Amino acid sequence: MAAPVSAPPPTGNRKAFRRTRVSAVERGASLTIVLLLGVIGIGIWWKGRHFDPNRFALRPDALKSTAADVKGKSGTVGATDAGPGETRASLKAQPAAAGESAGPGEESASAAAAPAGKGEPLEIKLDGLKPMGDTEFYNAENLFEKIDGRAPAYLNFNFQNLRCRSFSVAGAGSSYVDVYEYRFDTPVNAFGMFALERDPQGEPLGFAPDGYASGMGFFFRQGACYVQVMASDLNAKTIELAKAIATDRAKNLPASDTGLDGRRRLPVTGMDPASVQFVQENAQGQSFLKNVFQANYDFAGKKLPFFLMTTTPEAAAAAWKSYLDFAGQFGGKATALPDVNGAKIFMAQNFGSWKVIYQRDGEIGGVFDAADGDPARQFVEKYLEGQLK
Amino acid sequence: MNPEPDQEASGKSDGGISRREFMIRAGATGALLAGAAAGGYALWQREHFVPGFQAEKGLQLPSYALAPDKLLPSLAIAHGPEHDKTIRAAIGALGGMGRFVKKGDVVMLKPNVAFDTPPPLAATTHPETLRAVAKLVLEAGAARVYIADNPINSPTGCFWKSGLKQVADDLGLDLMYPEANSFSPLELNGEVLRNWTFFHEPFKKATKVIGVAPCKDHNLCHASMTMKNWYGLLGGRRSQFHQYIHSIVSDFALMMKPTLVILDGMNVLMKNGPTGGRLSDVKQMNTVVAGTDMVAVDSYGYTHLMERDLAELTYIHKAHDRGLGNKNWKDLIYKEVQA
Repeated sequence: MAAPVSAPPPTGNRKAFRRTRVSAVERGASLTIVLLLGVIGIGIWWKGRHFDPNRFALRPDALKSTAADVKGKSGTVGATDAGPGETRASLKAQPAAAGESAGPGEESASAAAAPAGKGEPLEIKLDGLKPMGDTEFYNAENLFEKIDGRAPAYLNFNFQNLRCRSFSVAGAGSSYVDVYEYRFDTPVNAFGMFALERDPQGEPLGFAPDGYASGMGFFFRQGACYVQVMASDLNAKTIELAKAIATDRAKNLPASDTGLDGRRRLPVTGMDPASVQFVQENAQGQSFLKNVFQANYDFAGKKLPFFLMTTTPEAAAAAWKSYLDFAGQFGGKATALPDVNGAKIFMAQNFGSWKVIYQRDGEIGGVFDAADGDPARQFVEKYLEGQLK
Repeated sequence: MNPEPDQEASGKSDGGISRREFMIRAGATGALLAGAAAGGYALWQREHFVPGFQAEKGLQLPSYALAPDKLLPSLAIAHGPEHDKTIRAAIGALGGMGRFVKKGDVVMLKPNVAFDTPPPLAATTHPETLRAVAKLVLEAGAARVYIADNPINSPTGCFWKSGLKQVADDLGLDLMYPEANSFSPLELNGEVLRNWTFFHEPFKKATKVIGVAPCKDHNLCHASMTMKNWYGLLGGRRSQFHQYIHSIVSDFALMMKPTLVILDGMNVLMKNGPTGGRLSDVKQMNTVVAGTDMVAVDSYGYTHLMERDLAELTYIHKAHDRGLGNKNWKDLIYKEVQA
């Protein structure tokens, strides 16, 4: 190989490259960094080679919030929830340590470990009632952990949070009562979910206008809350306490009917109270019908569904026009009727059923899906004339 | 500045490096980079799987199903007012539990205990149904009977409130709660279920598997019956499967080949499922369906117990089209009896 040739001297503004001496400290630091990188690399490799079941298996922290329901009853994941990397083999042995001797409803020492606290505990002071565990809290992110596939129905009505708790009933064997308080963003959305699940055969409650008793449970809407109080069985004492709990909750939760104006405009005469529904979007499949109240009526021996939407006069007029346009499509024929008390009305037959739709100021409504046109028209005209209360 | 004479001789330029040294260092750097790239490539997992298990196969469940029988029914429908008698009648119509469970078998019973709700709400397998099935299994000579599920809510709460813990205590069954180390990575060539953590512990010793499911409405997939019941064996954040609900439920027919499935249609949750909450959501149907083809069993359940149109139950059609069962239950040898 040719001998190294000396570099030509720099020309112009170019500076000569100068290699300063590398100090021992610098060398040492470099070596340390390289070794550290190597150790980190080996660590990552080693960690990756060893399966960690907790990474893919249960999330104990998620279970923690659901673990308070049976403390004192049997082995529970509550107070001794395994942390990541631990197993929960000890759970089976827990009752002895955590108070299996505690009878139903008696809070054991394990109950001291509260699940993820995210709100005010549900405290109900009634004779014969004892909390079986801590209050559980859920929000829109984790509601599925409590009610699984039922959650989307609640989320559709802008569910905000849930707090629930179980209470045992003294002197009633293993009976218990579950209390669920679902909170929504508005009273009208709470009503919407309440109405969606309503038992049409339910018995009205004296202490909550939007409420009913059904079998083992009491269900009502109070303000922005939809409350469910469910007994474990039909034991008379348990049912009695469940009713007392429901009464207590109705008394203590703030009342508000904000957004429910439309429902108050629905005529009462002939109405099936259990049929009142609130539809947020696409009522009757029409995108222009939002926040609609509807109910079924008995009128002149016919079943008539009637709806009502309140909005601005401009929006109501636009919705009426859209409805009229739709009614004239798909082989339908819409006929304008004479105005009644300042309300525009049309009548149409689509797909074999009749509709009579009106608009007055900021209100649009009418009868839809009626088998006969005449009763539908009479119903709407009487409503507009103020003859239906 | 001119270089010093000794620097000139060595090819260095006033503290610089020689061409040779430069080539050596550049070569070393290049080799280091190439080595790092080659190492990274060698360690790269092209397909995501549980780290460290790429050299191994994930868990693949064996089939617990019996060989098809050309003479005995593979579907039985029993009607009657009492759980015990109706279940005995259904199993009897299939040829008796002795056809499915032999002396010494270790049997895994899989109820649906998803929620901590009481039995009358019909959101969970009824305790009297489980009791009747477990008694039959024990009478057939099972050496051991496991009961297991991985519920949505607290496992202990669910088993206690559903009344199933009491059944386990009464009959001396082994109730297995899901523990962190009870899960193993499952590998399946499913439509959406491929690699997932699975509640494997109860199956390690099981020689027979029997699913005991309630018949109920489901907000997302229309109905939860014997196929959907296996969802309770998945671990991890399984709620993400909700967006592929029909695919995952049909995958269960691929994942699990049970010995027998029993659909508890004594009290059917007709609406507001899967949780329910009102007795008015429940309809008394006084029927038990048992069979070896869960697609057929669910097909009967959906049409005759939930009284709905099978056309809308997408997962049944998916499973049928994939050859995982027969949605035309009348094509099977079946028997309908009164208890």
